[in-house]
Amino acid sequence: MINNKAIGYITANYTALKQETLLESRPIASVPVMGRYRLIDFPLSNMANAGIKTVGLVMPGNYRSIIDHVGHGKDWGLDRKRGGLFPLPGNPYGTTKAGMRFLLRDIISNKTLFQRAKEPYVVLMGSNIIFNMDLNAIIEAHEASGVGITMVYVKAERDHEEACSLVIGDAGRVQKVNEGCKYGDNKFIDCFVINRELLLQIIDRYAAADYLDIFEAIAADFSRIDVCSYEFKGLAVGMFDQETYYQRSMEMLDPVINNQLFRKDRPILTKAHDAPPAKYAAGSIACNSRISAGCEIMGTVRNSILSRGVVVESGANVVNSIIMQGVIIKSGARVENAIIDKNNVVPANTELRGTPDAILSVGKAPMA
Amino acid sequence: MSKKECIAMLLAGGQGSRLGALTSKIAKPAVSFGGKYRIIDFTLSNCANSGIDTVGVLTQYRPYRLHAYLGSGSAWDLDERGGGVSILPPYATQEGGAWYAGTADAVTQNLDYIKTHDPEYVLILSGDALYRMDYRKMLDAHIQNEADLTIAVMPVPWEDASRFGILTTDDNDRITKFTEKPEKPDSNLASMGIYIFSAKFLIDALEEDALDQRSSHDFGGDIIPKALAEGRRLFVHKFHGYWKDVGTIASYHETSMGLLGANPEFDIYEKSAPIMSNDTTRPPHYIGPNGRVDDCLVSNGCEVFGTAKHSILSTDVVVEERAIVEDSVLLPGAIVKSGAHVVRAILGENAVVEEGVKLGSVDTQKDTAVVGNDVVIGKGE
Repeated sequence: MINNKAIGYITANYTALKQETLLESRPIASVPVMGRYRLIDFPLSNMANAGIKTVGLVMPGNYRSIIDHVGHGKDWGLDRKRGGLFPLPGNPYGTTKAGMRFLLRDIISNKTLFQRAKEPYVVLMGSNIIFNMDLNAIIEAHEASGVGITMVYVKAERDHEEACSLVIGDAGRVQKVNEGCKYGDNKFIDCFVINRELLLQIIDRYAAADYLDIFEAIAADFSRIDVCSYEFKGLAVGMFDQETYYQRSMEMLDPVINNQLFRKDRPILTKAHDAPPAKYAAGSIACNSRISAGCEIMGTVRNSILSRGVVVESGANVVNSIIMQGVIIKSGARVENAIIDKNNVVPANTELRGTPDAILSVGKAPMA
Repeated sequence: MSKKECIAMLLAGGQGSRLGALTSKIAKPAVSFGGKYRIIDFTLSNCANSGIDTVGVLTQYRPYRLHAYLGSGSAWDLDERGGGVSILPPYATQEGGAWYAGTADAVTQNLDYIKTHDPEYVLILSGDALYRMDYRKMLDAHIQNEADLTIAVMPVPWEDASRFGILTTDDNDRITKFTEKPEKPDSNLASMGIYIFSAKFLIDALEEDALDQRSSHDFGGDIIPKALAEGRRLFVHKFHGYWKDVGTIASYHETSMGLLGANPEFDIYEKSAPIMSNDTTRPPHYIGPNGRVDDCLVSNGCEVFGTAKHSILSTDVVVEERAIVEDSVLLPGAIVKSGAHVVRAILGENAVVEEGVKLGSVDTQKDTAVVGNDVVIGKGE
């Protein structure tokens, strides 16, 4: 159903504190994940699956890979005459400060999106924490409670420095948003619903504090604004740096975990390609691995994630690794505990080896 | 509407009865093939890769799934302004309505569509074969020969020639004789059922044929013999690549198996003319800790916990622990449960083979086992 209650706003301009190999060539929002996806697919798909037809997407400075991936939003049903996908200007330097994903300045400079909408609510999401959620359930809960803002959280399963935690009082009211998050805290998953009129009021009232995150700006006014919380019971996976990216990706090899994110009733949508099915040669070995279309496996792949069009030649070994699109691992080569970014060729009979504590990462190679 | 040089008419209305259970609920062109494709993808991709941007798809038998799959044609980049894919089912008029009675009749009933686009040439195709062909080359030959009709042909082994429509030519590729399934063939050039007509000749020929009550309104049976008898300029265009009809269970299975191996005759990995499809968005497939995949094509969404050998696993297929699949084609959503053993079989979409069931036989003298779409095979069945 077309959602006539809410429009969407996604911030894709969060910039990591650490400048790591994976982020040399792309913003976090377009980091490839689980083979064929990119982080930005998750907020876009959650909105698409809720029938949201107007989505503003706040761009980082290096937005080429995001535009390449999302285009005009066709794959998420966002190529609309009424509504559609609106790439929006954002702070080109991103919001590097921990916990800040909704820079007030960006919201203010994109006021037009909220003014033109007719829908009563706005769903705002970041792109670093991925989950598969029925947004309509949250919109309905928000509407039923009659509050100004509903913030979505999970019970934190581990410490998480870059996430925020919510201090929740009576009747689920949010009293405070803290930077950082410890095991057992109420981890804010960068997703909230706000009344559109209230958002417009905040834009006007707090304009002088535009350098702050929206929740910092309104911190003193939580009770007046009536900020409520909503617990999401599903899986929410945060990816803020290379280490957590690798660890969380490896955990997702477990089908039980993976199937919480990738459900047939609420598919995660992504840019369509025409890669043929993966091809396994006679004598190839693959186990506990997730392998994308267009891969050609002649060697051995264990505990690894392969993106589209990866070639593992005969006698080559890939173990505990994440291999990005178009990488060729030549005959007899060995890749272990590594992240190999796009288009690299690992020469025959060479080794690229990290350790479980120090994952080796090789940056994106120029197109051949 | 701007004038087009060449448009295509794709005959996709046949039942495909020789595919048995596979086409009981779905038109042949929409039958899954090669893991992530459907049979019509190959012809539509050929059109797109040949630069043809206007394709009328004539549908009739159980068309819903086919129509839904075609959509706007965007999956083949055929959502073109002033052209693209148009779905052309039978329709009613003030004089009543009629089913498509033959291949020529189907096109005759859509002469309005052809006249609207006002092309110079019309390419007639069917959506039931696996091949990669640049129609532009055929069109260039047609233009150079100043032909009324050009028929794509391929040389077949002489001993098989009596199974085909055979064309005999002079030294300049001009057709002198057409014989349907000749007992004593004098040529081994078999018609591939791919025609390019000069549009004016096609329209005249079809309008005449429509009035002929003795005609069965078939291109091979009526239009071509008549054109030949009238001394029209009919030429062959020789095709030397791979072409396989996938219209029977045996040919479907054999052609599918032919996609496997190190150097397949038809390479779905060929990048110069990619095969496009309207695939569902599913995650990369997963091979479990004890999974074993040997000489297979595996599509997105699959989960393999058992063993798959020399087989094609289409989108969302599940092979459970200790299950074995060999020399088989598993269509989208098929599930082989724990401990089951499937050999030389075709499992229809969402078919289920229950735990421990043995299906199919290694004996190549026996027919390939076929399980229809949505059918569950339990023990004792």
